Amino acid sequence: MATGDRRSPRLPQVTEPAAQGEPHVPTGRELTEANRFAYAALCGISLSQLFPEPEQSSFCTEFVASLVKWLELSEAVLPTMTAFASGLGGEGADMFAQTLSKDPVLKGDPSLITQDLLSFFLRDGCYDARARVLVCHLSSLLQVPLQELELLEDTFLESLKDTGEEESETAEASRKKKENRRKWKRYLLIGLATVGGGTVIGVTGGLAAPLVAAGAATIIGSAGAAALGSAAGIAIMTSLFGAAGAGLTGYKMKKRVGAIEEFTFLPLTEGRQLHITIAITGWLASGKYRTFSAPWAALAHSREQYCLAWEAKYLMELGNALETILSGLANVVAQEALKYTVLSGIVAALTWPASLLSVANVIDNPWGVCLHRSAEVGKHLAHILLSRQQGRRPVTLIGFSLGARVIYFCLQEMAQEKDCQGIVEDVVLLGAPVEGEARHWEPFRKVVSGRIVNGYCRGDWLLSFVYRTSSVQLRVAGLQPVQLQDRRMENVDLTSMVSGHLDYAKQMDDILKAVGVRTRPGWGEKGLLLAPGSLPSAAATSASRTSHQDGKSQGPEAGDTPSDPSQAPAPEGLHQSDRDSLPAAASPCICSHGVESNPLGCPDCTQETQGPCPGLH
Amino acid sequence: MDEDVLTTLKILIIGESGVGKSSLLLRFTDDTFDPELAATIGVDFKVKTISVDGNKAKLAIWDTAGQERFRTLTPSYYRGAQGVILVYDVTRRDTFVKLDNWLNELETYCTRNDIVNMLVGNKIDKENREVDRNEGLKFARKHSMLFIEASAKTCDGVQCAFEELVEKIIQTPGLWESETQNKGVKLSHREEGHGAGACSGYCSVL
Repeated sequence: MATGDRRSPRLPQVTEPAAQGEPHVPTGRELTEANRFAYAALCGISLSQLFPEPEQSSFCTEFVASLVKWLELSEAVLPTMTAFASGLGGEGADMFAQTLSKDPVLKGDPSLITQDLLSFFLRDGCYDARARVLVCHLSSLLQVPLQELELLEDTFLESLKDTGEEESETAEASRKKKENRRKWKRYLLIGLATVGGGTVIGVTGGLAAPLVAAGAATIIGSAGAAALGSAAGIAIMTSLFGAAGAGLTGYKMKKRVGAIEEFTFLPLTEGRQLHITIAITGWLASGKYRTFSAPWAALAHSREQYCLAWEAKYLMELGNALETILSGLANVVAQEALKYTVLSGIVAALTWPASLLSVANVIDNPWGVCLHRSAEVGKHLAHILLSRQQGRRPVTLIGFSLGARVIYFCLQEMAQEKDCQGIVEDVVLLGAPVEGEARHWEPFRKVVSGRIVNGYCRGDWLLSFVYRTSSVQLRVAGLQPVQLQDRRMENVDLTSMVSGHLDYAKQMDDILKAVGVRTRPGWGEKGLLLAPGSLPSAAATSASRTSHQDGKSQGPEAGDTPSDPSQAPAPEGLHQSDRDSLPAAASPCICSHGVESNPLGCPDCTQETQGPCPGLH
Repeated sequence: MDEDVLTTLKILIIGESGVGKSSLLLRFTDDTFDPELAATIGVDFKVKTISVDGNKAKLAIWDTAGQERFRTLTPSYYRGAQGVILVYDVTRRDTFVKLDNWLNELETYCTRNDIVNMLVGNKIDKENREVDRNEGLKFARKHSMLFIEASAKTCDGVQCAFEELVEKIIQTPGLWESETQNKGVKLSHREEGHGAGACSGYCSVL
């Protein structure tokens, strides 16, 4: 295949001579020896801080060893690097970062290090979630904005994708695209193996966009070229994006698995990225929220996002039941009273009002069915992720209500498998009807590389009501912080923005902002917990955040727990006045759920105004 | 085993290139000597448990590179160190003259002021001595450092150097008591005052 001839006319922007001509050495190797040492040491120290668990130690040592090789450092430094990776000598991390970012090769642009580390990780076509967490962490140490990292990821992706698309055009001519996706991938793999790496460099070199010219050049340069050019490039592509090429959307449940009747991935966004997000809806309702994707309109955590469609029939039943309960309790005062009863923690089976208990049968059955099914779905999702249907790239899971329960069981199932590490980057559980005892969350540290976010609402009476029979102690994650002492664990109190369980879907936009997940209008809000100052400011102001970054530095958890009920009324009251003023200021036709104004009124808003209380849905 | 260890101490070895820092460490930890030892890259790290006056101390020894090109990295290691071994070569006067620079750096980057310093004049087995023992002693006194002359090749004074340093550190409880806090043992202030003189006396408390 004369790939080279065909490609050159299509890429007139191949102007960057450096990218084409002589082979490029990865930036990492151009650093002075001292700085290469500092670079490796910094990675080692960061690793030991991010993944101190014993089960991660083999990953850490392997990583350090191959990084030393990648940087062409002497073998003699290995014992020292291993010492760094095992948690020794962490005191000087900031000094290393300082000296490293002053290297003349970087010319004051520390993002070159990020880029080098990225190409190091991606060289064999596997983007481990832990690797991404490390790259994020290192970027923050070197004060590289996260957008820059995403840009680098995109550049890398582009340089790989271009090789593929070129081929797909020829294949398209004769056959249908969809059918052939798998075929041309394989065809390419064989074909490209016979073409030298140089051709691919010539092609991808043109992708050296002005901003990341040096970056792209390095990605495909020299050692990078050896790794990425030729067949390897395609192998990486297939590895990263799933062997079938179709990835998650192509996933079809072959047979009815267990009790699961429906299980499909719906794309939320068009586009591909080196990390993906899967959103899981907790219930379906009438009106605006009758689809699985509706609550996630604002979600922009990744450019490749899916939402899991599962058991629509039962979730719809549940949603209807939840709404029935709410409308059944038309009395605003009763709802308000309930909220405070739950808030102050004096809730017991006896204190539930008779009016509520009389409609309990409406909810208990669908709730029970969905509880069971969400666990099944979670286990199934775990096996899909473990089999890498999504490709070898980090996955972020976000879910509310029963969707969070799906995630919980997914993580639980994954934790039991051996190769569960490095698949899941972040998880966000909102109002999760699951066990909130820290020991149940302990195994998740193994599975999740980045953050474990538990968004809870202390006044969620609906959740505590439906849980009244299932669990007497009421240790529900969706109602209180999970006291897991780990840097991953982040508890976000959403009490001020969620006044009822149904609010999780309605207020998703604000909630996502509060838990530090990127939403559509704003960019670059996601930050690592370890990175100082990277937390979104919105979260700091709108929700009180209890994060357990480090067991040692934090005071004993006893400080948190007792203060919760006593603090409860204060932020609530404060917020209430906030909310009262907000709708008044906004024009009536713009509802708080969507950005677009709807002349007929958002169905949920209309329902709100008819319903109990505008501030209290 | 680890419960017996009183504390973990961070020791730093600094000095000009080629004075024998790594050789001293190698002699101390592995009891070997390599005349052709390659220059250290960045920093070398070794752990050794020693027993001084019946107390076991785990030493985490950071052997820095003396070469100019790695000089930018040295400041990273000073933090949290309880003891510093400053090495010069008795057969090279220039390494002795440059000690002032090292002391300056030490002062600039050290996070604590009660850190224990030790001056080691290395290579005393060699014939062509350029720095007299008394000169070294005088310098050490002036800067209130411990002093010893040693030879990594003949093993002279090496063990002694580390032992003395550790002994001095252990006699300065403020230096390492924070380490014991991590292990859940905390001495009250009063006890420290009593123990300062006779180290074995309060160690039995632990």
